[in-house]
Amino acid sequence: MALILTRGGFSLPGTSINFKTGTWRVQKPFHRHLSAPCHSACPAGENAQAWIAKVDEGLFQQAWETLVAVNPLPAVTGRVCHHPCETACNRGQFDEAISINKIERFLGDEAIEQGWAYPVDKPRKSALRAAVVGAGPAGLSAAYHLVRLGYNVTLFDQLPEAGGVLRTALPAYRLPRLVLDAEVGRLLSVGIDFRPQHRLGRDMSLDELKAEYSAVFLGPGDQKSREWSIDGVVQRDLHVGIDLLKEWVAMGSVPQCTSAAIVGGGNTAIDLSRILKRAGVQEVHVITHQSLPGPGIPKEDAMTAIPREIDQALEEGVVIHPHRGIRRLILRGEKVVGVELVHMKKMDKGGKKQTIAFEGTETVLHVDQVIPAVGQEVDPFGMEDLLHHKHAFDADPWGRINGRDGVFVGGDARSGSSGTMSGAVGDGRRAAEAIDAYLREGLPPEEDTTPTIAFGQLNVNYYEHAPRQQEAVLPVDRRKGTEEIEGGLSASQVSLEAQRCFSCGTCFACDNCWTLCPDQAVLKTKELASDGSHYVFDFDYCKGCGLCAEECPCGFIAMEEEI
Amino acid sequence: MTAETVVPISDLRNSQLRFRAMESGHRACLGCGQALAARLVTEAAGPDVMLANATGCLEIFTTPWPESSWRVPWMHSLFENTGALASGMEAALKAQGKSTKVIAMGGDGGTFDIGFQALSGMLERGHNVLYVCYDNEAYMNTGIQRSSSTPHAAMTTTSPPGKESMGKRHLKKDIISIIAAHHIPYAATASVAYPSDLRKKVRRALAIEGPTFLQIHAPCPLGWGHEGDQSIAVARLAVQSGLFPLIELERGRLAGAMPLRDVRPVAEYLKAQQRFRHLFQDAPRAREELEHLQALADHNIEIYGLRGDHPDKLDSEGADTVRRGGARWA
Ligand SMILES: Cc1cc2nc3c(=O)[nH]c(=O)nc-3n(C[C@H](O)[C@H](O)[C@H](O)COP(=O)(O)OP(=O)(O)OC[C@H]3O[C@@H](n4cnc5c(N)ncnc54)[C@H](O)[C@@H]3O)c2cc1C
Ligand SMILES: Cc1ncc(C[n+]2csc(CCOP(=O)(O)OP(=O)(O)O)c2C)c(N)n1
Ligand code: SF4
Ligand code: SF4
Ligand code: SF4
Ligand SMILES: [Mg+2]
Repeated sequence: MALILTRGGFSLPGTSINFKTGTWRVQKPFHRHLSAPCHSACPAGENAQAWIAKVDEGLFQQAWETLVAVNPLPAVTGRVCHHPCETACNRGQFDEAISINKIERFLGDEAIEQGWAYPVDKPRKSALRAAVVGAGPAGLSAAYHLVRLGYNVTLFDQLPEAGGVLRTALPAYRLPRLVLDAEVGRLLSVGIDFRPQHRLGRDMSLDELKAEYSAVFLGPGDQKSREWSIDGVVQRDLHVGIDLLKEWVAMGSVPQCTSAAIVGGGNTAIDLSRILKRAGVQEVHVITHQSLPGPGIPKEDAMTAIPREIDQALEEGVVIHPHRGIRRLILRGEKVVGVELVHMKKMDKGGKKQTIAFEGTETVLHVDQVIPAVGQEVDPFGMEDLLHHKHAFDADPWGRINGRDGVFVGGDARSGSSGTMSGAVGDGRRAAEAIDAYLREGLPPEEDTTPTIAFGQLNVNYYEHAPRQQEAVLPVDRRKGTEEIEGGLSASQVSLEAQRCFSCGTCFACDNCWTLCPDQAVLKTKELASDGSHYVFDFDYCKGCGLCAEECPCGFIAMEEEI
Repeated sequence: MTAETVVPISDLRNSQLRFRAMESGHRACLGCGQALAARLVTEAAGPDVMLANATGCLEIFTTPWPESSWRVPWMHSLFENTGALASGMEAALKAQGKSTKVIAMGGDGGTFDIGFQALSGMLERGHNVLYVCYDNEAYMNTGIQRSSSTPHAAMTTTSPPGKESMGKRHLKKDIISIIAAHHIPYAATASVAYPSDLRKKVRRALAIEGPTFLQIHAPCPLGWGHEGDQSIAVARLAVQSGLFPLIELERGRLAGAMPLRDVRPVAEYLKAQQRFRHLFQDAPRAREELEHLQALADHNIEIYGLRGDHPDKLDSEGADTVRRGGARWA
């Protein structure tokens, strides 16, 4: 019987399949993962691109698991982080950045609500033991990552509860205590042996810890307020900003006054200004020699408080005096009745940064409280011989203290830390990795040097403009008590946000290369290809035209010379 | 990183989730717009078709004896008679009581110029054929001679810029209006830069009983003077500038136009191609021709009402928007 060729069938020698156009090629396409800006910018080390991809697929729990493989406190960071990821987000150059921080918060909240278990195994009884001192974000993160790496961890804190600054000084309208309790509680239950009311230097010494544990992580934060005076003068009834803040957070009350001036431009100054307003202080001033943050203001000149919080403080009636310093305290007896202000700016003077006061710009501000909020430093208690009279520990980004085997440090207490919660979480994770390396007598994992993909490397012709999803914000006249000011996004809003993501530097299986190759030299695979995408190049036919690389929306394909 | 799968590549080729009517191994140039267009057309059409293919690049690069890239019945015609050949194929299939669709394909030379009379006859007689013109705006297979489709002021080997003219002196023929004047049920323009829109139009045309027509803008890297990797970018700019409007005509009447929400200056499109290089010299004649081409684009935007008004989408109503998992718009 004669061979019948069905429609669409063919005989191989008679088709062009026989002719390998791949031999024409002088350059070839390859898949190239680049780091998304959101990933590179995250102080905790989160890869937002990766977990947003899971959200886009509708896999919320997997998204959360990917996230907490790096940062175990997303419900908290989702509320208090200054989100440099969003500042870096490539989409910001197209229309508006992805609402990364709010997606993170959604996942954190959802995990609490649904009771998703942290993807962590309980350590074996026989595993090595590590001690962590300080249950702030740095210590919590270090403890969690050590457990993930298989160690038995004992976590000490001098306070009755874990959380560090998050618990002692962050106002509940920014971080509801129900959320903090739930997330920290769930975290501790992954198998961390938590010992509250244990103070290093009082209840145990560093030497004792070193003897009992294979490695020690210190995350004591900054517990001591910096000295403050104006030319050596201070009022008798001096209240320090951080103490007032802690008092209000713990007790809900602060000493009464009708007007106050807070000195400083950081989170403590701004948080305190807002709680004074809530406590009924009529006039609240913030005096800082820094600038209000805004476009064109270099980071080192701007107030260090989170811009969003500064905006809300202004909305609530706080008066901020930027570029201003105090020349003189005006006292009646030993009580303060006002301050003399002067315009000031930090400037380069002979190669050094100096704060310069401008003569002839003096003004007087009458207030009955002047409250310094000029920063904290490490309380050396119990750690004196590690600190050498410095205000922070000298350690590398892995938390390794020079010459001190087996002792690691991270968070606010590490000199050069970012002084943020996400930075503390990142420090804790890196230190855990360094401890693991130390105990295995190896090197800590190499720093990820994957280059970051710039906006110009994307082909944005394939993305649609779409507005950023907005959360509800409590109106100013209802911001009285501890009710949370910023709302979250709903599940459907979060999905819309995830759809907006460009997937910078990572294939999102859009099919564009498959659709546009004139030579059908891009083949789709059901199984994952070895590079994580679903596509392979058919180099028998690929002519190396470069069209696929040019048209890949997210910059996942590049060309390289061949021969 | 090189990609590898456990599945042998030859098995993969045979298990792609689309109909490979036009196989790999064809001899088109790197980044050929016409090869891509033909692939998209036939893949959208599916297996139950027969092709009539005029002489030209497509015929040459898909079917060098004794090989062919086609996995569907395919017949090569002369340069000038594709319309007649397709009419005959359709009549024969009809006589056999078969519903197989006939698609006629030709270049712009074969369509606008030399095969026009046969095409006009096919339309007039009402044959149930989709005629696809791959418009690369010159006789490319014989070495870039001007056709009546070559745009005004473009350089070809037979319209060189010089003392007498700045490239082609005459205008690009408005073929789609001429075709539409045959009062056929459906005629449309499409571009390789908008594959979803292109496939949609193929399916729409094939669903109609009667003569239909599709003019596809298909960059030719060699003839237009750009790198092969720029084919889509160039085609996209042709649409976004208004020079190549994407429209649909039903029974001669405008039935749809893809709005342009972010209109690009024509100069951006021209600059990307060597065939318009002479328009960028510092000379009054060059400036005049640049303005002329801009005016032609503005005219298109006006008569087809291309300027969209919603800032929320790109200038394609989402036709070129890609999504995770490949869920394209069409
Ligand atoms: C008012 C305020 C607002 C802030 N707002 C933000 C914000 O919005 N976003 C942001 O990212 N960052 C913010 N920060 C900064 C952020 O809170 C810190 O960077 C972060 O908490 C540092 O974490 P840590 O773990 O290093 O230290 P901490 O949070 O200070 O935790 C240290 C822990 O160690 C314990 N400890 C200390 N010494 C000992 C000892 N000897 N023995 C036992 N335990 C000890 C302490 O009790 C404490 O629990 C804010 C800080 C303040 C003060
Ligand atoms: C009657 C006739 N004249 C000339 C030729 C030579 N010829 C073959 S292909 C071609 C050019 C085809 O141009 P076009 O139709 O635009 O298709 P393209 O090659 O540009 O795709 C010419 C002139 C021919 N084959 N037959
Ligand atoms: S678009 Fe997505 S992947 Fe790109 S930086 Fe923004 S969040 Fe990250
Ligand atoms: S588009 Fe196709 S032929 Fe061109 S480089 Fe990519 S895979 Fe190769
Ligand atoms: S074009 Fe789309 S499918 Fe192809 S590599 Fe890029 S993101 Fe992945
Ligand atoms: Mg042609």
